[in-house]
Amino acid sequence: MAYDPANPMVDRISDIGPRYYAEFHPPVIAANKGKWLWHEITQPGVLVHKSETGDECWTVRVGAARLISIELIREMCDIADKHCEGFFRFTTRNNVEFMVDSKAKVQPLLDDLKSRGNKFPVGGTGAGVTNIVHTQGWVHCHTPATDASGVVKAVMDELFDYFTSMTLPAQVRIALACCLNMCGAVHASDIAILGVHRKPPMIDHKRITGVCELPLAISACPLGAVKPAKAMVDGVEVKTVQVNAERCMFCGNCYTMCPAMPLADPDGDGIAILVGGKVSNSRSAPKFSKLVIPFLPNTPPRWPETVAAVKGILEAYAKDAHKYERVGEWAERIGWEKFFEKCDIPFTIKSIDDYRLAYDTWRTTTQFKYTSHIK
Amino acid sequence: MALSKDELKAAILKKAETAPKPQLYIKDFYACDPDAKPREIKNVANDLVKEGKLMFWSSGSTTMYAMKSRIKDEEGTSGVN
Amino acid sequence: MAKHETPLLDELEKGPWPSFVTDIKRQAEKKPECWDILGQLELSYVEKITHWKHGGIVGVFGYGGGIVGRYSDLPKRFPGVEHFHTVRLAQPASKYYSTKHLRDLCDLWEKYGSGMTNMHGSTGDMVMLGCRTEALEPFFYEMTHNLNQDLGGSGSNLRTPANCIGSSRCEWSCYDTEEACHQLTMHYQDEIHRPAFPYKFKFKFSGCPNDCVAAIARSDVAVIGTWRGNIRIDQAAVKEYVAGNIPSNGGAHAGRDWGKFDIQKEVINLCPTNCMWMEGGELKIDDSECTRCMHCLNVMPRALRPGAEQGATICVGAKAPILDGAQFATLIVPFMKVSADNEFEELIEFIEKIWDWWMEEGKNRERCGETMQRLGLPTFIKVMGLDPLPQHIKEPRSNPYVFWQEEEVPGGFDRDVEEFRARHAA
Repeated sequence: MAYDPANPMVDRISDIGPRYYAEFHPPVIAANKGKWLWHEITQPGVLVHKSETGDECWTVRVGAARLISIELIREMCDIADKHCEGFFRFTTRNNVEFMVDSKAKVQPLLDDLKSRGNKFPVGGTGAGVTNIVHTQGWVHCHTPATDASGVVKAVMDELFDYFTSMTLPAQVRIALACCLNMCGAVHASDIAILGVHRKPPMIDHKRITGVCELPLAISACPLGAVKPAKAMVDGVEVKTVQVNAERCMFCGNCYTMCPAMPLADPDGDGIAILVGGKVSNSRSAPKFSKLVIPFLPNTPPRWPETVAAVKGILEAYAKDAHKYERVGEWAERIGWEKFFEKCDIPFTIKSIDDYRLAYDTWRTTTQFKYTSHIK
Repeated sequence: MALSKDELKAAILKKAETAPKPQLYIKDFYACDPDAKPREIKNVANDLVKEGKLMFWSSGSTTMYAMKSRIKDEEGTSGVN
Repeated sequence: MAKHETPLLDELEKGPWPSFVTDIKRQAEKKPECWDILGQLELSYVEKITHWKHGGIVGVFGYGGGIVGRYSDLPKRFPGVEHFHTVRLAQPASKYYSTKHLRDLCDLWEKYGSGMTNMHGSTGDMVMLGCRTEALEPFFYEMTHNLNQDLGGSGSNLRTPANCIGSSRCEWSCYDTEEACHQLTMHYQDEIHRPAFPYKFKFKFSGCPNDCVAAIARSDVAVIGTWRGNIRIDQAAVKEYVAGNIPSNGGAHAGRDWGKFDIQKEVINLCPTNCMWMEGGELKIDDSECTRCMHCLNVMPRALRPGAEQGATICVGAKAPILDGAQFATLIVPFMKVSADNEFEELIEFIEKIWDWWMEEGKNRERCGETMQRLGLPTFIKVMGLDPLPQHIKEPRSNPYVFWQEEEVPGGFDRDVEEFRARHAA
């Protein structure tokens, strides 16, 4: 039976949820769930998990764009049908994992992946740079301050050798969110690339009545910068809002609630870099990423300033950090004043917090290090 | 004294019809029966959608309720996903 | 044959990382509307600004989530992306797939959508990008009828829950994250598909404190596996690590010569609580001092395993920064048994207690963690019927402004100022 537009509710099925995961376990996973003893990364991108039954699961991890076509998914299916008994999985960071049940099956799989051009780079394990988690950007979002897929492609091209190797002091998690909403949750990443707006919203008085509930737009502003106002449209007075630009922090929350308040701008928008966040509880507690570069311009198609900034931080960290130390742990050990110096990042007043709870980040001790900042 | 389900339905519809703005948050319906738990009110409001009497007015980030007859335009606010 | 010139995007076909531009071009050979994705994106690259309009109300009937409206602001120039709605599909726990299911989904998306996807979105759903309004209902009908597959969440709903790989392929998972994720997802289908709350609500399930789904950073209820009792030690394997016969950190550092493995420097000295030492060639741990950070287990996975009594720590209230700044989830329940044996009853009861309070007290568009911050952790602990614990805080408050209740103070708050003045001249 097919869908009948005249009777959309006939025979309707709803609330059935996702498919049951156990249907999709590869046989070696189904047989050994809960029985795994240990794992080892035998080469970049290849992991073995050993079960108490003696079974082994060999996983080959492959990087992928987050934006992928069904043609590419079908090609992944071809690979999994040929090598992996018709199963594979995705990771939370947009990597693809092909699993086989013996070491002997790994090399043929690697050879197959390699034969397909640059579509399936093997890596993303251990003390390296794994795939960048990111948002939609100009490809599919209405609020972005930058693109996502293009910036990520440019950065990953430059960091490719760190994806396919494990030479860093620890894993480095990079994330990109294309505006301050941070759908990509970049707030706890080793290096975060964040799209930022720098101009207050414009007010489209002609449209605001039709598309916007004014109280929602007014209450959307966390700083009370949006106030009720009146404006003349075609000789008629309409109720609208005004924005106190001095108080605007360019978060875009008003635009989220009101389409008549667009704030994106080719010159205003760009990228900020935040560093030192982590999610894991290993050694130290989870940390937020901190803003170290307030603005880099949008320079499509390859964002050279952003690419250079990320690479510069990564290489300063790689050279200086201790084994196991995450970027944030390194920065805290050496002190943030040293971080700026070692990364050769100019310190600006924009890195000094003046939002809520700002005082927590101000230094209230006589302990500091002499760096080139002190003349 | 809590309202019966039918009384609650009628109160919610009246609110959706007469409120100054067409889109309402679920919280706006809580006053229809101060004795009911929020989840009961939510369930009744969602039943009214199933019956075709209310519609969801979803922006991506936030979802509100509305009477179809009071919504002018299919474009509206949207938000983070 | 390309419909638009895309010299800027073509630059992104170079380089070693997989190119989404090459991939979209490949898809455009079969689905010509994809040329308009490239055309509009190229224009954004030239003008440095998005060309997607603000939202729009679309969905399938009876659901208040799962679809996010998206329209081009240049529909005449790029008709292929005039409507380009997002369809979120509920992903299976842990994101394993059979090729059969994926091929079926690809076929359906070829029939009704653009062919482009995100595998996966940040929350965890499979994200289908680019569907016309009129195709939504038939897509949904065929997907539910033929593929036994449903939509995920959006809006003020419970968002599609997500989990780490768990015990399906990880030795550290302290509870069955995929079963927990699946059962709760099924239990709350109504809350996922229809709005229920002041704002979005998320669960995430991580098997251990490494937290591979970032639960503590992104979810209103973070269920993070942990254990009680002693770390299980295999002293023979410890000796193998010390002798350099097993690579440290599961081989994660193999790409650089870091010198010989030094258990004192790499494990014992990096323990945040200094609760480990070597004695007579054996590794000793004072487990009563251990905070279960995972560092030593991460470094020596063959020698150390989580303790045998396993469960989860429950943290509540994480969110991204909009608006008052980002919040990590706050530890609320130090240890909870999380088991399919009683259908996760204790966890479900905990979650519903939060909902009853937050639905009442939360302001519109206020995340649970923001409500907690506005009304205070002491209020939240009382509402949840929990005893206050030193584990709830990093340190005691440093200000003295306690909100004493009248009944806590002998004699109450009502006093007679006349009687006071009789004894104390003004």
